[in-house]
Amino acid sequence: MLGLIAPTAAASAFDLLAWSPPGWGATLVAGLWNTILIAFGAYGLGLFIGVLGAFGKLYGGPITRDLLGVYTTLVRAVPELVLILILYFAVTDAVNQFLVFNGYERIQLSGVAAGIAVLGIVQGAYSTEVLRGAIQSVPAGQIEAARAMGMPPMLLARRVTLPLMTAAAVPGLANLWLTCTKDTALLAVVGFIELTKATSLAAGTTKAFLTFYLAAGVLYLILSLLSGVVFGRIERWARKGQRPMAGGGM
Amino acid sequence: MKKTLLTLAATLAFGTAAFAEPLKIGIAAEPYPPFASPDASGAWVGWEVDFINAVCAAGQMECVVTPVAWEGIIPSLTGGQIDAIMASMSITEERMQTIDFSDKYYNTPSVLLTAKGSGLTPDASGMSGKIIGVQVSTIHEAYAQAHFPDAAEIKTYQTTDEAFQDLSAGRVDVAFADSIANDAFLASEVGMACCEAIGAVADDPAILGLGIGVGLRKGEDALKAQFNAAIAKVIADGTYDTISKPYFPSSIYGG
Repeated sequence: MLGLIAPTAAASAFDLLAWSPPGWGATLVAGLWNTILIAFGAYGLGLFIGVLGAFGKLYGGPITRDLLGVYTTLVRAVPELVLILILYFAVTDAVNQFLVFNGYERIQLSGVAAGIAVLGIVQGAYSTEVLRGAIQSVPAGQIEAARAMGMPPMLLARRVTLPLMTAAAVPGLANLWLTCTKDTALLAVVGFIELTKATSLAAGTTKAFLTFYLAAGVLYLILSLLSGVVFGRIERWARKGQRPMAGGGM
Repeated sequence: MKKTLLTLAATLAFGTAAFAEPLKIGIAAEPYPPFASPDASGAWVGWEVDFINAVCAAGQMECVVTPVAWEGIIPSLTGGQIDAIMASMSITEERMQTIDFSDKYYNTPSVLLTAKGSGLTPDASGMSGKIIGVQVSTIHEAYAQAHFPDAAEIKTYQTTDEAFQDLSAGRVDVAFADSIANDAFLASEVGMACCEAIGAVADDPAILGLGIGVGLRKGEDALKAQFNAAIAKVIADGTYDTISKPYFPSSIYGG
């Protein structure tokens, strides 16, 4: 019986993954595209928040530091899934009730915008910590030497702090990027059709669970491998003139 | 000319929902044949999708079908991500505390599925000690909670499809869902091999509701009237029967 089913199953697995209907290939790749789009947006937003947050935490006044401390602690304590549900449903509802109450039209938060906002805020908290650690890892002697040469603060940041901290930050940031690509799967809970949701729809409709989840796994793996190559290059570039680090790349 | 431009700019900036934006019709982002399921190109097909198109055409409304997760579909409506729910949602008193409904557009019984030859009866004594699989936040979950107090466990799933999967895998003894959705599962290869319907449960209108309606935000009475008129028109002019014919042997409008 099994022998009879297996050949047809193997043939139909490729049919199911074909590019054009009745294959689901194009739908899966469209989902992957949404995943990449959100990951890029969220990572960019996260880096932006992270840079501001790291400098604020290190050089800001006591209030800035406390507020940033609350932000990074809260965001890293609450699961991303809960944050997504809060922002997508609770916050949008509250904002709309406020707008309608004051006589404005309600806003519509698209899945992409909500996804980028939530994951960006989450990424921002982790980036803040990664970058703060990297800035602090710059040897004090280097900075003192630059100051002794009479370097003004901006030039010091550009020539000494930033290059040295980038090298220290890249491995942590590469990790964050990989987390980010996979956190996009959480948006499936609000019905946003990224790779995971597209896969579960395809699997649920065709009942070919193994085929589709394996295919999705392969797509995520390809994304990670390509990211590894890119971050490996960035790391080599960032560590120019420094001792090479063992186990770099992914 | 300048005034026209100003009006245009104001319209663009504040986007008056009445004519600038199409109505977003929320459906559940899950395969729910024969009502709504994605095809291989990612487009949504099924009876309910055809019905949405017919109603929107009859009411001269511009609509886009927007898939939303079922368990978040009411918050999506109240939060403004969608403007109406047409996702086989039953009109129940509990939901009417949060949202409003149009007139019903179909009504089908709720039926229990078990493994073949289980010999169970669709009542409280038959369900005693059994594990029942239902979709979360459905009339079926509410009914099981209220009427099958002796069930070993009421397992909730994000989608009906997952409850059916676990029935075929033997992780639940009973799956409880809409009769038409059940029939679609029983007609599938997996369903045919494993399972059978053991019959409808005793009616409880307070929980099982008064049929399926369009879910709308409270206070949007003009839109509600528009939907009611469009539904009545689709039924009166025979479009309802035309779109139902390929899917169902008899009308699902119900009593």
